[in-house]
This record gives sequence, structure tokens and C-alpha cells, in this order.
Amino acid sequence: MTYNILYFDGTSSKMHTALLQISAFKWEITYTEESNHSKTIFWETATIKKTNVHTVNFVSFSYGESFPFQRIESTDTALIAHLNTLKNSDLDKLDILLHTNKRKSFIYLLTAILGIAIGMYFYVIPAVTNSFITNLNNKSVEGLGNFVFKVLSIDLEIDAKKTKKLQNFADAIQIESSFPIEVYVAKNTEINAFALSGGKIVVYTGLLEKIENESQLLALIGHEISHIEERHVLKNVTRNLSGAIFISVLFGDISGINTVLAENAHLFSQLSFTRSLEKEADIYGLKIMKNNKVDLNGMSELFKILKKETPFNIPTYLSNHPMLKDRIEYTQKIAKEQGSISENTLLKEKWDALKTTFTNIETAHE
Amino acid sequence: MSKTKKYRIFDTQLTKKPMEIIANTNTEEKRFKYFGAGLEFAIIYFKNILLTIITIGLYYPWAKVELLKYHYQSTALDNSRFSFHATGKEVFKGFIKIYAILIALYAFLIYASQTQDLTLITTATILFYVFLLLLIPLAIHGSVRYRASRSSWKGIHFKYLGDRKELFLLFIKGLFLTIITLGIYSPWLQVDLRKYVLRNLRFGNVSFRFKGSGGQLLWITVKFILLIYITLGIYGFWYYKNIIKFYVDNLEISQNGKPVNFKCNIKTKDIVELLVVNFFLLIFTLGLAAPWVTVRTFKVILRFIIIEEGLDTENIQQVSYDDYDDATGDDFMDFLDFDLL
Repeated sequence: MTYNILYFDGTSSKMHTALLQISAFKWEITYTEESNHSKTIFWETATIKKTNVHTVNFVSFSYGESFPFQRIESTDTALIAHLNTLKNSDLDKLDILLHTNKRKSFIYLLTAILGIAIGMYFYVIPAVTNSFITNLNNKSVEGLGNFVFKVLSIDLEIDAKKTKKLQNFADAIQIESSFPIEVYVAKNTEINAFALSGGKIVVYTGLLEKIENESQLLALIGHEISHIEERHVLKNVTRNLSGAIFISVLFGDISGINTVLAENAHLFSQLSFTRSLEKEADIYGLKIMKNNKVDLNGMSELFKILKKETPFNIPTYLSNHPMLKDRIEYTQKIAKEQGSISENTLLKEKWDALKTTFTNIETAHE
Repeated sequence: MSKTKKYRIFDTQLTKKPMEIIANTNTEEKRFKYFGAGLEFAIIYFKNILLTIITIGLYYPWAKVELLKYHYQSTALDNSRFSFHATGKEVFKGFIKIYAILIALYAFLIYASQTQDLTLITTATILFYVFLLLLIPLAIHGSVRYRASRSSWKGIHFKYLGDRKELFLLFIKGLFLTIITLGIYSPWLQVDLRKYVLRNLRFGNVSFRFKGSGGQLLWITVKFILLIYITLGIYGFWYYKNIIKFYVDNLEISQNGKPVNFKCNIKTKDIVELLVVNFFLLIFTLGLAAPWVTVRTFKVILRFIIIEEGLDTENIQQVSYDDYDDATGDDFMDFLDFDLL
């Protein structure tokens, strides 16, 4: 059986219409030269190199140990069909299979991509990042927190006096922490506080001056300590980052619009993850409060203060914290189970000392 | 030995005989044709995405090579297809090198930022960007040389003869002028780089030249800036056409000292049709039509590119081969999202 091919000798661009005959160890190429002489060239099978990507209507091969390389190309479907029956590598076999029923293959490929992508995004990536952060040694966690704090501290106006008093309060908390807890009070009217990985907590004066008693303050500090203990910041960041990288790798090549859609979907899923971490910190914070024998209602009172100060409520699905209403409800429920408590005098004393720094300022203002 | 001799004989024959006398010439106007098909390319495209995901990205170099190979082999001129000979292994090696360099750079940057010394941080950041910038001309050199070495048509290989140092200096000069002119020099820099690259590109015994000027490119850009907002973006179609025509119409190819021009006859309406349909295809399929869009784009653009009469495509002689297997530059261009094609 002979096949129609085009032959190039590698020294000039002259195109020869030729016939190809395939046998076990060699390919025989025959064409007619300008002088009307027929010329036959032999290619040894072992040296032939396929140069095309598998499709159903085109093949090309090059030949030669060294330069210049000869070349043949063909659109002869009989040749392509014959080549498909020869010994092929697994990847070649996959190609042949994929191109036999293109529509079906397209559907299968899409389903496989979607399935694997979902599995990676929802199971593999969270599991890997979570175990990575959990197994990271304390020193690295502190190092990362210190690094972030260095960057942030440029914009923070730390109140040394209040910081000292709040640190005294934190030191009086009974807790087995794997990180040294360092608290900072920053001058800022915003109602906010945050924790950094490795033990640093920053509380804004705006929030601190709204707090009424030691159990509310312990609720706040306890919540932040929970974030530190559970390495929430790092878990959040690594998961966010790895998810975002995965999405951009997956969608980056497809099109800009879809990347935007996918990134937004990722943002939503990330917000839901952050909320779950917040809830975890609330519950863990209550445990710290219970161990320190303070009134658990401090937590829900703290949320009530926040609720009063927040001008509008963002729907849960758009927020990185659970709705305050929900938080008040579930923390109150836990607080109800608490029996009678005696006053934690040590914490109260430290709280009172801290409170004076505020009243002093207020008088100074007046 | 005998081969070199053969070329020499051919050269002397040419100097003695005027072009017209050579028999069997094949010098009529040439058009490109793209044979790619949407569904066929979609299978190759999604297969490669799947393999890339499964291997957590390690397959990417092989995927990139296969997609490029497909476009090359789907492009025909004078009834013969182009061929891309790169291998995933070569591109993978380049990737390892590029990532080693980038990781070292980032490590340096992170180390500097840990010290809390502001001058050191600033110096490190500036050095980081300067270094990335200086890598660009080296990457262009490596990329063009690699791609040229791995591209062939009718068995004849492309070859890049450019000098890394010359290109580097050209880039530095242009970059300096671009900075002190607040970007106005940028079109000249782009054109100078293109002129240099094409002047040093060979296809067998055929050479190239870029005739465009920085002034022309600046004018295209100025028109774009002036009109794009007034026309609410509609001028973008004209700009796109101007840019394509600028790059194609100014391309000249020379065979035995005889210049032949490239021409692109694309009309604005063709661009409008191409881009609007592409846009809707992507929107309504949530991007799944990407392979169809790529195929359409190649089909349309290549359909309008003509090599004017005069190039004898049956008589191009292979000269020598540059077995350049270092894809590092090409990978860096990929990292920066630049594509030479």
C-alpha cells in the first residue's frame, strides 16, 4: 500500500510530491526528479521522528541523525489511519482515542476538569494548607507575626501607658498559651481589635473605651487569643492565597471575564471560611472566660456594644464576621449554662487600673 | 564538506544568472492559510489543561509546546505546513532556571524587608525591579533564538544571528531615553528592538527587514489616546487594525538580494466582526469557547496576510542550523506574559 506525501530533502525548500511505502523496519519514499528520473529514499524506522501534534488529518515526520533533516508531510487519511494501528505510546493512544469521537471527548474532558478542580479547591487545598499551618513550628509562626507587625506598626500610634495596663490585664489571665501574648493599644477611633499570628494583639482605643467591665474585656482578649492559639490568621491567609493561585492558574488561560467571576466566587467562599474561624474563636474565647471564672455574659455584652456602634448590618454572606445578632444568640445560650460565679478579683483590679487611664484622658479633654 | 560546496556553487550561479532566467520559479503572490478547527483544538487544549491540573502544573511546559505545535502545523503557506520542533523537556529545563532565579530574587527581597532597615528595603526593591527589567533583553534574545531554531517550513529552519550584547545595549539605550522622555520614546524602543531582531533573522538564505519607524508607531498610539475616550472605545477596532497593518505591512523579506513585501489587507469591518463575535462567544459560554476563539482569530488574521509576488518558495536554500536548546529566555517571556507570535 502506498500513501501520498510531500517530501523535502532538507537542503532546499523544493517540494516533491512523493509516494510512501511503509514496512516493518523502513519507510520507502519515491519521487520523480526534474530530470524525470525516479528517486527512492529509505528511512530507517528507528530514526524517524514524528513532528506533528495528533489530529485526524495531518502528519509530519523528520528524519536524520544530524542536520540537515529531511521532512515529509501528508494529509492522506489512509496513511493516518495506518499509523494509528502501529505501536504507539500511551499518550499517543490517548490522543488517538480522544480524536475518534471529538464531541464525546470534549464532554468527558470538561467533566474531568470540573471534577478535579472542585475536588482540589474544596478538599485537597484546604486539607493541605491546614495541615501545613498546624505543623509549622512556633518559631516560624512568631517570625511571620513579627514581620507583619513590623510593617503594620509604622501606621499604628501605640499608647504606651494603656498598653502597659492592658498587658498587665492579659498577664493576669489564666491560660496555657503556646505563644507569649503581647497586647498593644493603638490610638484610633475605629471600633476594632485584631490578632497577629504568634501572639500579638492590637486593640484600638475606640473599642477599648466602650468596654464596661472585666468580663467584656476578657471576652475581647479571649477571642483574639483563640485566633492566635488556633493559628487562624495563617490558616486564613494560606488558604486564601492557595485558592486564589489555583483559580488564577485554572482560569487565567481561559478568559479575563471568567477569572473575575471565579475570583468573586472564591471571595465568597473565603468569607464563609473566615466566619467559621470567627465563630470558633467566640466559642474558644468563652472557654477561656469560663476557666478564669468571669461572667460569660461579657461576650454577648461585647457584641451588643459592637452592634450599637455599627451603623448598619452587613448581611452574613457579605461579611467576614457572623451577624452580631447570631453571635449574641449563640454566646448567650452558652452563658446560660454557667452556674454561679465568684468575682475574679485579680482581673477586676487590672481592669480598674486600665479604666483610670481613660477617665484621666477624658478629664484632660474637658 | 560536499554540502558546503553545493551552497557555494549555488551562490555563484545566482550571481551570474538574473532571477528571471531561473527555470521552475514559484514566485506568484502567496497567502497563508490556517487549517485549525475549533473542536479539534478544544480537545488538545482541554486535554492539556487537565494534564496540567493533575500534575499540579508540572505538565505546563509540555502543554505550552503542544499548543504552539498545533498552531504551527495548522498554518500553511504554499501548500506546506509550518513545524515547531521544541520539546517539553527543553522548555521545562528553562522553567526550572527561571524559577530558581525568581525565587533567589524574592528571597533576597524578603530577607531585606526582615531587617527593618528602610534604605536596605528600598535598595532591594529597586534592585529587584531593575534586575527584572535587565533580564528582558536577554530573554528576548534567548526566546527569539530558541523559537527560530525550533521553527521550520518545508524542511528549512529559521535561525537568529543576533548578538546578546548588542541587543542588551540597544535596550538599555532605549530604556534610558524612554525614561527621560517620560515614555514618548517607547515606540522607537519597540521598533528598534523589532528592527534588530528581524535584521538578524534568517530563513535558510532568506533574510528579513522591518521598515516601520518609531514615529509611525507613536502616531498610531497618539490617535488611539485622543480618540478612544471620545468614541467610547469604538476606536479600538481601528487601532487594532492599524497595529496589525503596521507590523505586517512594514515587514520585508529578501531572497538573493531581491526584496518582497508582506501585506495585510484586513479591513476594520473584519476586525469588528472578529472581536465582537469572539467577545460574545466567550461571554455566553463562560469562557469554554476559548479554543474556538483562538482558532477563529488565527484564521481571520492569517487569511489577510499576503506575501507579494517575487518570493520563490521552491528555491530557498538551507544554510546552517542553530541547535539552540535553551528555552530559558522563552520561559521568562512567558512569565512576563509577552508573546512574540
